[in-house]
Amino acid sequence: MTRTVQITRALMTAGLLETVRRKDLYVVLILTVLLTLGASAFRVFGVQGLEIFVKDVAFTAIGVMTTVLTVLIAARQIPEEMQRRTIYPLMARPITRGQLLLGKWATAFCTAGLCFAILALVTLGLLASLGIPLKPIFIQYVLLKLMGIGWLCAMVITLSLYLTPAANVTLSLILAFGSGVFNRLLLMAHWEHDLSAIWLNLLYGVLPHYDYFDMSKKVVFDWDLAPWWVLGAMGGYAVISGAAWLLIGWLRFRRQTIG
Amino acid sequence: MRAIEVCELVVAYRRWFKPPFRAVDNLSFEVREGEIVGFLGVNGAGKTSTIKTLMGFQPPTSGEARIFGMPATDARARQLVGFLPETALYSPYLTPYETLRLYGELHGLRGRTLKAQIEALLEAVNLAPKMHTLNKNLSKGMLQRVGIAQALLGDPKLLILDEVSSGLDPIGKRELRDLLATQRERGATIFFSSHELAEVASICDRILIIHQGRLIAEHRLSELAGRVESLEDYFIRTVQAGRDALLVGEDADATRSQFVASASPPTHAPSVALAPPSTTALTDSEDAA
Repeated sequence: MTRTVQITRALMTAGLLETVRRKDLYVVLILTVLLTLGASAFRVFGVQGLEIFVKDVAFTAIGVMTTVLTVLIAARQIPEEMQRRTIYPLMARPITRGQLLLGKWATAFCTAGLCFAILALVTLGLLASLGIPLKPIFIQYVLLKLMGIGWLCAMVITLSLYLTPAANVTLSLILAFGSGVFNRLLLMAHWEHDLSAIWLNLLYGVLPHYDYFDMSKKVVFDWDLAPWWVLGAMGGYAVISGAAWLLIGWLRFRRQTIG
Repeated sequence: MRAIEVCELVVAYRRWFKPPFRAVDNLSFEVREGEIVGFLGVNGAGKTSTIKTLMGFQPPTSGEARIFGMPATDARARQLVGFLPETALYSPYLTPYETLRLYGELHGLRGRTLKAQIEALLEAVNLAPKMHTLNKNLSKGMLQRVGIAQALLGDPKLLILDEVSSGLDPIGKRELRDLLATQRERGATIFFSSHELAEVASICDRILIIHQGRLIAEHRLSELAGRVESLEDYFIRTVQAGRDALLVGEDADATRSQFVASASPPTHAPSVALAPPSTTALTDSEDAA
């Protein structure tokens, strides 16, 4: 266990250093600030009462940027090591493939989580400076989003072991942004009976649901805190579903030829 | 004790609508502890596939590969191994110091021991002045030195080096020879593939030559000294003879025994022009060195 922690920490440190030096984060940060400032510029024209609009733009920007960043960061963890052949000296060390997979997931989660935290803090500060306060549900939004990032990283890393990098990024973005559409299945299940309803319910349960981890609209419309057990249940879903994704990835990776 | 044992190893790659391609075909050999063994063959002979299997990167199709008695796929076996891949690329966004720290920590080293080892190794490969420069700003030769340093982390008992001198300038090659000599004095076993036959002749105890995935020759260099003009000459003629034998469908074992039994060069006249033997000439004194 200690050894796994040491391996994960070493991989995470290197991964974070790489991300900071790649400068992806700075571009995203500048874009988010520009979008939020752009939305708030309506005040210049004397239009008042647009707090909800400005918040909506800001949280949509955070959501989109975070999802894209998470997919890109997670998708490059293992394929990039293979492409530039740095996987050889990594796997030449006394580490198992399971430990490498776990380490890469932790790296992607920490890096994407840090990017999201920075984006959320900057937006919080920016909105406060514009005189738009946020309710405590913002804390629940951040926690839930972090769970979603961990879950999304597990899915993308696993898909990266089965698909080409381009196919993985495309499919992951479709699943992440399109997961809200799967709710239609649940509606359809209500209309159907017997076996059809069971199948639709099963399909709904099996399909990945990144939309579960987004409560940005509740922040925008100043909802009160959600019951904490709901967050606990979501945490459980993220852990079980994320672990299942990583298990599927490990089953492939443990016998895969490297390089 | 045997550092490496390869027994009837087969590595086959699946192909669509064709029979699998056997990159390594019933290969068997051993490397004893403390030996320096050169693993030779033309491009596509199966050297890298064999090395990948030894490092656990490639599961064998059949047969087995063992490192110090442990299966090559066992992560514990790699605790005793230092590996330099053929193309040494390292994260462009890390410095040589950070690169070595990453691999050192993965190896289980930490704290002052790790720091001291990194500094000593970067000094040994003449990269100390560049230890805080990003890898993307280093030349190919410098990256190869980073690779050599990472392979030596943790004082491995066995060094597996794939095309070790690739990208190094003549000074770098000389320094590498000295470094490998130091490793030999330390008692390390070295197994390496190379196309630089002069380098092989100067540091190896024994050579293995493979062709089309099969072992076609295995000699101690002291056996060859004085009996062949040069290692280069011998290598070319051996590979040519092996190719001819395989083309007419001779049994691989018979082909192998033909060369192993006799240290004399094959009777086939070489059909390729031989390079002047000056650089790879084998003498008793060189072999003794």
